[in-house]
Amino acid sequence: MKNPLPHIIRGQTFWVSPQRVLYWEEENTMLIADLHLGKSGHFRKAGIPVPQGSQKADLQRLIAQLYFYKADRLIIAGDFTHSAANKELDLFLRWRRDFSGLQIDLVKGNHDILADDWYTEANIRVHTHTMRAGPFLILHDLKDQRKLSDEDKKLYQFAGHLHPGVLLKGLARQSMKLPCFYFTLQYGILPAFSRFTGQYIVKPGKDELVFAIAGDELTPLH
Amino acid sequence: MQQGESGLVNAPTGCGKTFSVFLGTIIRFINDHPENYQQLKNNGLLLLWITPLRALAADISRAMKSVFDELGLPWQTGIRNGDTSTADRTKQKKQMPEVLIITPESFHLLLAQKDYPSLFSNLQTIAVDEWHELLGSKRGVQVELALSRIVSLNSKVKSQKSESENSKNQNPNSKLSKLEVLSKPDQVNTEYFVHSVPNSVSSVVKKNILKTTSIWGISATIGNLDEAKEVLLSPLAQQGVIVKANMSKRTELLSIIPDEIEKFPWAGHLGIKLAHQVIPIIMQSRTTLIFINTRGMSETWYQTLLDICPDLAGQIALHHGSIDRELREWIEENLHAGKLKAVVCTASLDLGVDFRPVETVIQVGSPKGVARFMQRAGRSGHQPDAVSKIYFLPTHSLELTEAAALKNAMELDIIESRPPRILCYDVLIQYLNTLAVSDGFIPAEVLPEIRSTFCYRDMPDEEWERLMYFITEGGDALQQYDDYKKFDITGGHYKILSRKLAMRHRMHIGTIVSDAMLKVRFVSGGYIGVIEEYFISRLEPGDVFTLAGRNLEFVLIKEMTVLVRPSKAKKSIVPSWNGGRMPLSANLGKQLRETLNRALTPDSPELKALQPLFSLQAELSHVPSANELLIEQIETKDGFHLFVYPFEGRLVHEAMAAILAYRISRIRPISFSFAMNDYGFELLSDQPIPVDDTNVYELFTPDNLMADIQRSVNSTEMARRKFRDVAVIGGLIFQGMPGEKKKARHLQSSASLLFNVFSEYDPENILMRQAYQEVMDQQMEEVRLRDMLERIQESKIVLEFPGQLTPFCFPIKVDSMREDLSSEKLEDRIKKMTEGFTTKGTKEIHKGH
Repeated sequence: MKNPLPHIIRGQTFWVSPQRVLYWEEENTMLIADLHLGKSGHFRKAGIPVPQGSQKADLQRLIAQLYFYKADRLIIAGDFTHSAANKELDLFLRWRRDFSGLQIDLVKGNHDILADDWYTEANIRVHTHTMRAGPFLILHDLKDQRKLSDEDKKLYQFAGHLHPGVLLKGLARQSMKLPCFYFTLQYGILPAFSRFTGQYIVKPGKDELVFAIAGDELTPLH
Repeated sequence: MQQGESGLVNAPTGCGKTFSVFLGTIIRFINDHPENYQQLKNNGLLLLWITPLRALAADISRAMKSVFDELGLPWQTGIRNGDTSTADRTKQKKQMPEVLIITPESFHLLLAQKDYPSLFSNLQTIAVDEWHELLGSKRGVQVELALSRIVSLNSKVKSQKSESENSKNQNPNSKLSKLEVLSKPDQVNTEYFVHSVPNSVSSVVKKNILKTTSIWGISATIGNLDEAKEVLLSPLAQQGVIVKANMSKRTELLSIIPDEIEKFPWAGHLGIKLAHQVIPIIMQSRTTLIFINTRGMSETWYQTLLDICPDLAGQIALHHGSIDRELREWIEENLHAGKLKAVVCTASLDLGVDFRPVETVIQVGSPKGVARFMQRAGRSGHQPDAVSKIYFLPTHSLELTEAAALKNAMELDIIESRPPRILCYDVLIQYLNTLAVSDGFIPAEVLPEIRSTFCYRDMPDEEWERLMYFITEGGDALQQYDDYKKFDITGGHYKILSRKLAMRHRMHIGTIVSDAMLKVRFVSGGYIGVIEEYFISRLEPGDVFTLAGRNLEFVLIKEMTVLVRPSKAKKSIVPSWNGGRMPLSANLGKQLRETLNRALTPDSPELKALQPLFSLQAELSHVPSANELLIEQIETKDGFHLFVYPFEGRLVHEAMAAILAYRISRIRPISFSFAMNDYGFELLSDQPIPVDDTNVYELFTPDNLMADIQRSVNSTEMARRKFRDVAVIGGLIFQGMPGEKKKARHLQSSASLLFNVFSEYDPENILMRQAYQEVMDQQMEEVRLRDMLERIQESKIVLEFPGQLTPFCFPIKVDSMREDLSSEKLEDRIKKMTEGFTTKGTKEIHKGH
């Protein structure tokens, strides 16, 4: 399926998109995780000549999605940037000025190590560990549960960090690994938005749901 | 050697070929200084001794020192490799020993030092030991490049000293035309000749001895000795000579035949069931070397031998490349002294100085090639005219046919060639970075040197320009949004100024040989050895694995070191080292096909022992003769199998499987996974495979081969696999270094991910194209595939439909690597796979569905 599929969580409608974003209809908000902006630039600055094309494509895809949903707000569940500042991030800053109406919230991930000034300049609200939005809690790494209050723990959690993927096995020993969205009853893990990332294979259990992404196609598996 | 000539020394092991080159250097020195050679100290580096294995250095050094003592020569030897201490390095920097024993990687590390040319200014001879091992590998290419630099350096030193009228224009700005490149070596050649004549006449003024660096290779017998010499001497542009020892050694091959062949496994790699038959052989002979193909299996063998014969404790040792140096040296010393009854080893003891007490050699599993087998056999029976005795221990039944085939090959004197590597751009990129971190380079100056090597002699200008663009600009970039800047270019001089980048590069140079290797230490302190990161990365803390004959519990990885605890666990995971698996050579494959001719009329003990197996194969299916190709189609619960047995070796089978899968997939949409071993390959599908007597010859046609090769290579994993190696050597994969912690992780990326990124955004990248080219050169070699297909066209294709798995197909099915190829639509494949996918849950929460 090329079109996004609706998925209801705690009475709210989320559109799951093969473009690796989650669109929250009631709040007109887009959710992503693990963009790793500036990754190729970081490699290149260290003298490792990887192509920049994937970064440019990631950014373009993000912009296209924001236009498509006409979202008011973008929530990033961590690892927005990859490492120290580099010129690739300037490309984002230039684009940010054209989208000044958009509110951006970032819950810091382990890769988000830029100086505070940078986030101020980029007009990004930074949340150090978690952020609440309605009946939901956004954090980067699900493993950080002990930092949460009991009240937080009751909320449905959205996280990134894992770069989840799913292993499909067919007859005759055929197999395929695909990035995916991964939803359980308590939490949902977003695929890495950047395509310049690896995958961690998840094995969905009972009552759990996975949307596998193959190119432009989305396949729900349950 | 007295006349500054260069060449190649070839002789079987155990007859002093090592000494021939070494003594030549000394004699030359004594001739040059007949009166005072015993007084001259600190002469600078005279002989550079390149050896592929660190383990060999200590032995060679010891042997050389004893010669100095006897001659009263006040020379020093030094060792330079990954094990050399910083203190020794500093000492060497201040005063080079007369003889330096070095590995190819460390040779390049010397070139990465500031002011390195001065180290080589007195150099007379470069010896390349075990050249047959280096040739055909990227480390051999490293040697070629380093030689081209030294030869050029020393010919410049020389032309500065000779009359200026003779020295031709060395214009760095000259255009890079082929003609000039070709003409330069000729000029060097005549120079050498002119100068070497007066040099041999003793009337030359002694102070001004000209530095004619000569190059000598030392090689065991291989099929292409002349080419080996040509590659080595290419930078000198000399013909050189081949010095051949005129002695032949008799080798006797004895197979260890299982008592009950019916109960012996049809598949496997270990052969441990026959361990009890090894004990009497060990007991009967003074010292026995037991060669195992991979390090992991050698660990298991060592343990098993101790278990079944505890008396051997203290008299048996385990030797492989991952074991701590001190322990290795201890083993080698005790081997010399005859104190060890047996040593379980891998290729780590293939080479080098001979251990005289060794009387017997046991080869476990297929040696994969005639040359390797002969070399190993040569490790025993060192007295001239002694017979080398080698036992062959099969790891599964069919392997016994290999023993019969090896006997044939030895009788017929068939031996493999080692084709040299061509246009390895990854190694060249690494080399240019090496020059850039030391004294820098001028492209127009190094290009003719690079083209003086065999590897790069046909490099087109266009490729060179692409490569320079890639390393200086980092390929196409987003202009003002890019930070790539590696080289400082001042006055045409390319240099890396960043100390951090330079340090990182030096760390990186050794990576050609190995995957990322991590040190293994006890938590409480104490070094055990090294292990591949690939293996460790799949372990969870608490897992137990075996290294150096010990069971170890994995605790954690810290700063490139694996911390472990001793473990008493009975079960452990044995590391699978990637290095161990060699494909069968073409020669041995051919012998194997011919051996099968006699399968049902056996004339050797091996074939006789295999009678029950061949009868069963004949009953269920067919035993192919040399002019037949057997194809078996079998249906099991896994799906539909098609087995093909060309006996051409694993690499060729992988290529052939890909091409055949591609051709079948054009008949109708179908997905395959395929597997191969040295005897044949398997296509496996979830639907019947449309191959029958109406289309089978067509599927194996040599027509359109090139086009089909191109298409099938694009749709399989072969290039991706090659890219791993290429990306590491070419500097795309950063392995981290001590002291750099968190930030270093941000520079890590898997080769597979990089392969995806390059495939999508820079498919024409020079390293990508090299990965594909390596597949073409080594696996998809058109000539060999065409020969094979033509052979098949002329032979009889036998199609069988056995009702069950056969002895031939069993090893392929149970134990081999797998790949995919599909002509079905992605969505159809996913649909089929998802039908079997279930989370077995209620779906109340997911109201959207």
